[in-house]
Parts: sequence; C-alpha cells; structure tokens
Amino acid sequence: MKELLYLYCVTKDKPSSYNFEDLGIKIHPVYFQGTYAVVSRVSPDDFSEDSLKKHLADMGWVEKNIRLHEKVIEEIMKDQAVLPFKFGTVFENEANVEKLLKTNNAEFKAVLAGLDGKEEWGLKIYCGSEYFKDALCRGNERITEIDKEITAAGKGKAFFLKKKKDEIIKDIINEKISEYTKDCFKRLKITAVDTKINNMLPKEVTEKKEDMVLNAAFLINKNKVGDFVNLVEELRTKYTDQGFFFDCTGPWPPYNFCK
Amino acid sequence: MDNPIKTLQDKNSYLDLRKRERVTLLEILDRALEKGVVISGDIVISVADVDLVYLGLKVLLSSVETMERLRGAPLSGAAEEPT
Repeated sequence: MKELLYLYCVTKDKPSSYNFEDLGIKIHPVYFQGTYAVVSRVSPDDFSEDSLKKHLADMGWVEKNIRLHEKVIEEIMKDQAVLPFKFGTVFENEANVEKLLKTNNAEFKAVLAGLDGKEEWGLKIYCGSEYFKDALCRGNERITEIDKEITAAGKGKAFFLKKKKDEIIKDIINEKISEYTKDCFKRLKITAVDTKINNMLPKEVTEKKEDMVLNAAFLINKNKVGDFVNLVEELRTKYTDQGFFFDCTGPWPPYNFCK
Repeated sequence: MDNPIKTLQDKNSYLDLRKRERVTLLEILDRALEKGVVISGDIVISVADVDLVYLGLKVLLSSVETMERLRGAPLSGAAEEPT
C-alpha cells in the first residue's frame, strides 16, 4: 500500500535537520512560496483512516506516536518559529500538502511572523480545597449566621439548614478559588503577548487528588520568559499555604496560539 | 523570608524548570491532540476520536457525566475568564 505523508508543522525557513535517526524519522519538507510543510512518510498500517481509528484505542500506540510528533516539532522549533499541527494530520500525497500551503499561504506567513521570537508556556493550577476549608470559613459572616439558625432550629429544619450550609461553604470555596486564580492569571498575563484559558481536565484524567482550577497557556517573548518563570515562583510561594499547587511547563510549540 | 525572585535568579532552578524532560503524557495530549492547527487534511482525527483517546487514558471511565466533563465543563467559580 502507498505511503502517506504525516504533517508536523509549517515553517518559514527550510528545517536545518532532516534526519531524526534516533527517532526513526526522516523529514521531507514540501515548499510553497515562502512556507515549508515539515512532513515525513508514514505507513498506512499506522495512519490510514481505518488504522488510525483502531490505534487510537491503544494508549501505547498513542503515547509513542504523539511523543514523536512533539519531539520532531520541538527539534524544529529550536531554530525558528513553528506552526504546530494537530496530532494525526495526514495527507495522501505531496500535491495535497502543497495545496494546503497554497490555500493558506498568506495566513500561515502572517501567523508565523507573529509567533517569531515567542514561546508557549503552560500553567495548570490545582487546589485541594479540603485542606483550607476550615480556614476559609472561619469568621465568615454567612457561616456564622447560618450556624446561629441551625442552633435555634428544630431537628427537621436543622437538617435542611445544614444542607444549605454545605452549599454556602461550596460557594465560599469557589469564590476564593476564583479570586486566587484570577490574581495569578492577571499578574502572569502582564508578562505575556497573548494568553488562553483552556477547559479544566477532570480528576479521572489528571489522576490527581486535587481539582484543576486553572488551565492556561501563555505566549511569551523569549526575553520575558525569565520574568514569567520568576513570577510563577513568586505566586507559588504566595499560594502554597492556600492549598494551591502549580504545574508550570514549557517551552511548548505554540499549539494554543496558531489560529 | 526568602525572596522568591532572588531564589529564581539562581541559574540552576531556572534551568530545572525549562528543561523538565519528563513531561507527562497528559500535558502533550492536552495540546497536540486538542489544539494545534486544524485543517481538513486527507485524514484527520475527529472529536469522537479524541474522546476515544481520553477513554483509553483511564480505564474506569464509564459514565456519561464523566464524558461530558471531559468535553470541558469547567468548575464553577473559576469558570469565567479572569480578564
């Protein structure tokens, strides 16, 4: 069966390295008017539509191949700005890759120019609200008030009031989480050229005890990365006692800023 | 109290953070599978396929509710964009 072409990213300059021998990947750049598509030949056993669907249920296959996708792009982005494509973007032939470059020529060039000299950094904040529940609610007006009501109420009414109290506690915790994450985000935003807030991932996927409370991406000028990282550490210090913990990663290909 | 900024100007801790090699699979999935340039290539991964991968990530995913959360209903309270 005919080999397919797997697209990693689009760049402005010809990639300086083609051979990722340790990864078993050989790059074949496809050129069209000032843009290069960084592609490699892949087997239809891996990436034909049917194979792909089958493999996606196999976490071992997904992990191996998505890490390759990431590694190739990270290698290319050491030298120049990249426009990273979504994992599993595959073409039947070179003509179709060229058509992609042709159709989007002006847009690709514009986005690449905007990404030049910048890095994507990620920050996920998690919060174990159970740890600081008592501290947050102590002395809170709404809690004091409902506690009084509970004491004064009969058994039946007290039951419902306690439920209401649980709701109030939840609200207070959410307000605090919101306040703290906003503070973090706002301050970090100042160091960034662009930002994106992504959906929170559930515990089933993160496999962490704590809830994710912020999932953000920052596009940062390379000369500001130091400021960003310092600020993350400052915020980490500030909020550790509040049950927050920070997971900061980077530099990433600008997956969140390539629209 | 230690000055966190000063601590971080220490070259080693800065490099530590930058060069973190063991990035979790989740971090990569959260980007390369969900984001990046999406075009109508000859073969592309659909939203349903993305769900499939997340299902593979965790054995015990069975409820519809969880599936909906995977598609990204944010926690209340921190949901609105803090601009």
